Amino acid sequence: MKRYRATLVFILIVGTLIAGGYGLFGPQKATAAVLSGLTLAALYFLLGAGLSLIFGLMDVLNFAHGTLFMIGAYVGYTVFGNPRLILNTAPLFLALAAGAVAGIRLAPLIPNRRVGLYLLVLAGVAVTVWGVWGFPLRPLVAFEPTTAGGAVSTALAQEPLSRMTGRLVQLALAGLLLGPAFARWGREERRTAPGWRPAVLGLGLALLAVLLLLGRDVLERFLLGLSVDVRFFLALVAGAATGAALGALLETTLIRPFYGRPVTQIVLTLGLMFVGAELVKFIWGKEGRPPMAVPSLFAQSCRSPDLIAWLTERCSSIDVLGRAFPTYRLFIIAVGVLILVGVALLLKYSRLGMIVRAGVQDSAMVEALGINVRRVFTTVFTLGSALAALGGVVAAPFVGVYPEMGGIFQLQAFIAVVIGGMGSYAGTAVGALVLGLARALGDTLVTTGIALPGIEQALRASPAVARASTVLIMAIVLLVRPSGIFGRKK
Amino acid sequence: MGILLEVQDIHTFIGQFHILQGVSLEVLEGSITALLGRNGAGKTTTLKSILGLTPPREGKVIFTGEEIQGRRAYEIAAMGIGYIPEHRAIFTDLTVEENLRIAERQKGDLKRKADFIYTLFPDLKRLSKLPGGHLSGGQQQMLAIARALVPENRLLLIDEPSEGLAPILIQELMEAIRHLSAKVTVLVVDQNFQMTSRLADRYFLIDDGRTVRGGAMADLLKEPEVIRRYLGAVI
Repeated sequence: MKRYRATLVFILIVGTLIAGGYGLFGPQKATAAVLSGLTLAALYFLLGAGLSLIFGLMDVLNFAHGTLFMIGAYVGYTVFGNPRLILNTAPLFLALAAGAVAGIRLAPLIPNRRVGLYLLVLAGVAVTVWGVWGFPLRPLVAFEPTTAGGAVSTALAQEPLSRMTGRLVQLALAGLLLGPAFARWGREERRTAPGWRPAVLGLGLALLAVLLLLGRDVLERFLLGLSVDVRFFLALVAGAATGAALGALLETTLIRPFYGRPVTQIVLTLGLMFVGAELVKFIWGKEGRPPMAVPSLFAQSCRSPDLIAWLTERCSSIDVLGRAFPTYRLFIIAVGVLILVGVALLLKYSRLGMIVRAGVQDSAMVEALGINVRRVFTTVFTLGSALAALGGVVAAPFVGVYPEMGGIFQLQAFIAVVIGGMGSYAGTAVGALVLGLARALGDTLVTTGIALPGIEQALRASPAVARASTVLIMAIVLLVRPSGIFGRKK
Repeated sequence: MGILLEVQDIHTFIGQFHILQGVSLEVLEGSITALLGRNGAGKTTTLKSILGLTPPREGKVIFTGEEIQGRRAYEIAAMGIGYIPEHRAIFTDLTVEENLRIAERQKGDLKRKADFIYTLFPDLKRLSKLPGGHLSGGQQQMLAIARALVPENRLLLIDEPSEGLAPILIQELMEAIRHLSAKVTVLVVDQNFQMTSRLADRYFLIDDGRTVRGGAMADLLKEPEVIRRYLGAVI
């Protein structure tokens, strides 16, 4: 009985929500609300899964998680609609990284490490600024969402190849200067000789940068000539990959030095959240952008009567009890379910999953078994970041992209994780579901109101009620179960 | 017998506290060595310092002839040190089998050792599909020891194995430790002097973060005065 209490609480809450919805709004509106709720739940889950795993394993409250969600959305949106921006900026980042990888090897050559390192970092930052000075970011960014085969409106935004090559050299030099800062000092360095891998990695990155730059026109035409579906898929991959790369970088450089100092980490990630939002505003502007185009499966402007018909007709909406429901939202739900099941299988059956489950309980003991827990931390942080960024791309055709989206979705994801129980994977899924349903039903309540007998006009609530409903549910759950539905008392 | 582990004058801090202020000891290959001392003397911290969980700030730890102080705990453990901490620290969400499998350092470790482990602790085979959290205290202790036996370890650090166990279980546990000491060297910490004095053949005595004595257990038993002074035990 005790074992199933959490499940019972969960069924009770969801049951009450759904039954309440049907009682208040009737089957038609309530079903639409439940589907909308599932859509939101899927997005909350994609964010919350990483948050919860990262907190459970490393005790890090990552306030920058929503930022990764937002950056994923922006990168996916850009890959989809304006690959020229990516093709012109990616080589710069690659050159910097290539220089840095090579620079790590040069660390032992610095005579006075403490002073030398600071000077090098200063010089590196200066050269970086020199390298990107005057880069035509604004014209490159100014674009209209393009359809398949459409061209970017800013034809002359690119700098000539010669100037870009100069920038590559400057940034590679900057990377070389910054690289030593990434080297690990002390005893560890002597024992684990870097070997040939960094050299190959650095050369590979540099080669990729040059190839991207040389092929930028051909690649752009090729990418824009691809079908919407392929471009959408590429957007998903690029968004998730960017999230993974940023996550790995974040964990290894900024989070890692502060394990065991939770307050520092909270302030740090909170700061990163603001930096990320400002960075996105700087690059893409303060204004948001309208929803991204959807793949062809969801694009025809018609309404399919049922799921089977939709698969052949490819309508943008589907008939649910006489009301139209956007089919793209079904895709969001499917992605959420797919990731939910995929990560659950990974946790249950893989060795990594086993280590994560053990590490959530006692990471010091896992280390004492001879397992490199730090590496597991990095892997989980990377994976969680990738999921968040993927969520951002998936959300882009639904809500568009705007600088505040990270904060808004992150808040909801946090509430979902708290409701479900910090550090519990099943709890996160449950929390996201409860929250999504509550939010959607709250919205329905606001738009339709409740018709009470004897009163002519339906009782309407203000939109604030819908937003407050999620916090209200959190308060109730925490009063009844202080550690969340699936949480454990610590 | 060669020296497997040597600790030379280590100093360990936890936060602001200078817990170990000069602990030295040596563990001979194939022996059972007991680390004795009152509550709070620094026995657990010594084990954690050897393993690198609380790295010593000064002094040397030499294992199989290599200096290992300052290395990360997972690297030290992977050199062949098994740790059985106080309160067992088995993973309650993992099944008994997973608790053993997670300790594998090479694929197939568990398969190779299964016979040895399940002969030593037959109960574990029967319980293998159960979550670790459902086991009794005695069973959890068996599991914690079994987990340390899965990889090819040369030294086991066992912390308070008898804590919270019924006397009959302590007997069983002693038998098990004595049995496995034929294959692996043991450094054991326990409050139960009755048990350790019968189990160990050598000892080191820590008081207030310093090693005060060390040698053959048989010699210590001839000095009831020392035992009373440092351990409060009467034999």
